[in-house]
Amino acid sequence: MEYVKKLISSYNCEYVEDYKKCWTKAKLNSKNDLLSVAEALKKEGLRSLSTVSPTDFIDENIMEINYFFEDLETKRNLWLKVDLPREKEECEIESLTPLFSSAEWHEREAYSMFGVNFLNHPDLRDIIKSEDYSGVYPFRKDFDWLAHEKNVVQNMQTIVDSFKKEQEENEVELDSDSSETILNWGPTHPASGPIRLRVHCDGEDIISIDPDIGYVWRALEHLVTQKDFISAIVSVERLCFMDNINSMTGYAMAVEEIAGVEITPFASWMRVLLGEIARCSSHFMGLGMFFNNMGLHTLAMWNMDTRELFLDFLESYSGARIATASVEPGGVRYGLDMAMFDELEKALEKFDESIGEVEAIFVKNPTMTLRAENVGVLSADEVHKFGLSGIVARGSGVKTDIRIDEPYAAYDELDLEYIIQEGGSAKDRFIMLFRDLKQSVDIIKKAKEHISNAVESGEMNPTKDHMVKVPKKLPKGEAISRVEWARGEVLMHLVTDEKAKSPYRLKMRAPSFNHTMMLNHLLAGATLSDIPLIFGSLYICQGDLDR
Amino acid sequence: MSEALFQAFIFPGLLYVLVWTVGLFWFFRKFMAALHKRVGPSFNGKGGSYQTLFDLSKLLTKESITPDGVNPYLFSTMPLLAVIFAMLPSAFIPWMDGVVVVDSDYGVLALVILIGIEPFLLFLTGFGSNNKYSFLGGIRILTQSISMETSFILAALSPALLFSTMNLTAIVEQSSWFSFLVLLPGFIIYFIALLGLLEQPPFNIPDAEQEIVYGFYTEYSGTNYFLLQVAMFAEFMAVFAGAATLFLGAYKGIFFDSYFFFFMKMMGIAVVMMTMRAATPRITLAQMLNFSWQYMVPIALVNIAWVLFAKSLWFIGA
Repeated sequence: MEYVKKLISSYNCEYVEDYKKCWTKAKLNSKNDLLSVAEALKKEGLRSLSTVSPTDFIDENIMEINYFFEDLETKRNLWLKVDLPREKEECEIESLTPLFSSAEWHEREAYSMFGVNFLNHPDLRDIIKSEDYSGVYPFRKDFDWLAHEKNVVQNMQTIVDSFKKEQEENEVELDSDSSETILNWGPTHPASGPIRLRVHCDGEDIISIDPDIGYVWRALEHLVTQKDFISAIVSVERLCFMDNINSMTGYAMAVEEIAGVEITPFASWMRVLLGEIARCSSHFMGLGMFFNNMGLHTLAMWNMDTRELFLDFLESYSGARIATASVEPGGVRYGLDMAMFDELEKALEKFDESIGEVEAIFVKNPTMTLRAENVGVLSADEVHKFGLSGIVARGSGVKTDIRIDEPYAAYDELDLEYIIQEGGSAKDRFIMLFRDLKQSVDIIKKAKEHISNAVESGEMNPTKDHMVKVPKKLPKGEAISRVEWARGEVLMHLVTDEKAKSPYRLKMRAPSFNHTMMLNHLLAGATLSDIPLIFGSLYICQGDLDR
Repeated sequence: MSEALFQAFIFPGLLYVLVWTVGLFWFFRKFMAALHKRVGPSFNGKGGSYQTLFDLSKLLTKESITPDGVNPYLFSTMPLLAVIFAMLPSAFIPWMDGVVVVDSDYGVLALVILIGIEPFLLFLTGFGSNNKYSFLGGIRILTQSISMETSFILAALSPALLFSTMNLTAIVEQSSWFSFLVLLPGFIIYFIALLGLLEQPPFNIPDAEQEIVYGFYTEYSGTNYFLLQVAMFAEFMAVFAGAATLFLGAYKGIFFDSYFFFFMKMMGIAVVMMTMRAATPRITLAQMLNFSWQYMVPIALVNIAWVLFAKSLWFIGA
């Protein structure tokens, strides 16, 4: 930590300061220093670039770029800022992709959304946004969404035309005598979900894969800025329906930091409890999808059976099974009726009853081992290089878990241990997911016991303690928060203006973005049969991929 | 004449096969649902028993779409041919004592060929669909059927060798508990090869929906799809009946002989197949090829040697 600070201080900086437990925050005066700083950081061990997040300060005519460098081993992280001029022609900076492979798609996103030009980027194309936005930069503050939406018919025609053009041209360059072809895997495909992989293959063998994403782009990061701080949670939780609660927790933490509000112990324990239930409900589906992708639907059905009971608890707590909107700045939205814990108890009992069967039939399944043992292998080095997180990183033996690295809510009071799985193959990631699920259920049990005990002894009042007041208007400021989401690290970067009623900018760094980047790397040279298997094992959710 | 019509349209012809098909369809759904911890069809009729009829009649009345750029005759003839070929083996099976339509001396051969020609027809459906996924599915089914049919035929030959006849009625008559034990390895090979021919897990590679959408079925809809589904379930029935006839003594039972025992034997095979379906993921094409040529075919050959050895030891002059 100290060394990172010293290193960055040797450059021409506006300021260098400590931030939170494991961050150093610094701002470079000149963008020309960026490459040499990045090189020095990489040597120092900060090998992952979590995300690249521009903020458009239109009044000051500045495009500020935030780089979040992470060291997954020693947890020393650096938040580096640099200002660029806002004019399209001058808004350019050296690309970090040659140094940090994980930057590739994040820079493409910054390019598509803000029009930041990255010099020496190997593949600077539009990503996420649809073709009708080509040439315009929707997240710039001067972009007129309403005017764009007025031409809805024409916009759709543009999308259709460009798709048809691509379909006509995509095989022109291939040798017509060869057996090579371009196969569309998705977006309407039994296993793909709303994503399209352009699979360039020779018969059954894959030559390369180019993912086309953006089919569920809702511009959540823009929608958030249109709402006040409380209603913004509706957009934040739609990051992905499977684990919505932890993303709300991350956002709420960032708002609380700017507002300077401390939440009650009851609220932080509830955040742990709800968050782990959401993680379970997501993992249940993830485990099922892994087997679904090999043509076996039994596990998904069994898991749904158990998951229903967990959702029952969410329903009685918040009134909704999936989109609960139950965590908001200041605590959790509702008080707790202690009778609801009986419902949770039922779910936990059902889980304990059925988990042995699942382990015997599916986790130790010999055919699954045959299929998944040696495919999609990710080394620990690649995890660092591509900034992977969550079960994908832990499946390759990298000890990273935000709940332990940078504890939030009540996780510091829980005695958690890193669960890792050496090997890094698709099978290891599946087993990792299974073990993560078991750990999650253990945390639920502990949190439930802690809350029950504290309520009994009068330490917590479940009907009054859930909320602290957060002012409606927030001061100027910015904050980052990280949470361990079901799929990995979610980093929220929140910027507010003077007397702000709504966020000025919210960047949500979501793990599936990095994981999808790995598809070509993992699948080139494999066969068509491996696509669904590896895709499933990376635990990708299209919701947080596109945002 | 009227007897021929009865055999063609009622028993063991069209109506019989259709009843079996619908019943098997419904049973598969219910049994699979139980293994999945679901309910399965439950609204229409007792235990949702009309559901399959409704589904099939819905498929029949839906629009059948023929894609651009395909040969419409090839595209629509293949499903019809597939159904007819799937129903034909029924004529060679001795359903009850003395009840068999074609009592041929080449029954085993007819059975094996009629079952084995089915994947080739499905390959043609994929070939004629003008769709990348269908074509891949077609290639896959051809690859799989060539690999699996070798061991399938070798296994089906073992009872014929043991009893020195290809007449199915004669095979059933001569079968006993002892012959069942001798033929057990052959039965196991036959069963595994059958999974491959019927595209059942772990060999459901040709219509792997997560990989190549629906394989050769992809472009089919409405009536054509209905015919392909009927063909699939009729094929199930033919293969189960073939297995029961060749290895399990068909209608022969304990204390008395009856169609009931035939039925139970076929359902037994169906139940084992479904249970495997509910607990085994799919393997890859390369793994299937390795498995078939490295293990199945050599073992099937060894099995032939074992049957001949057992015959010379215990069955000569019997």
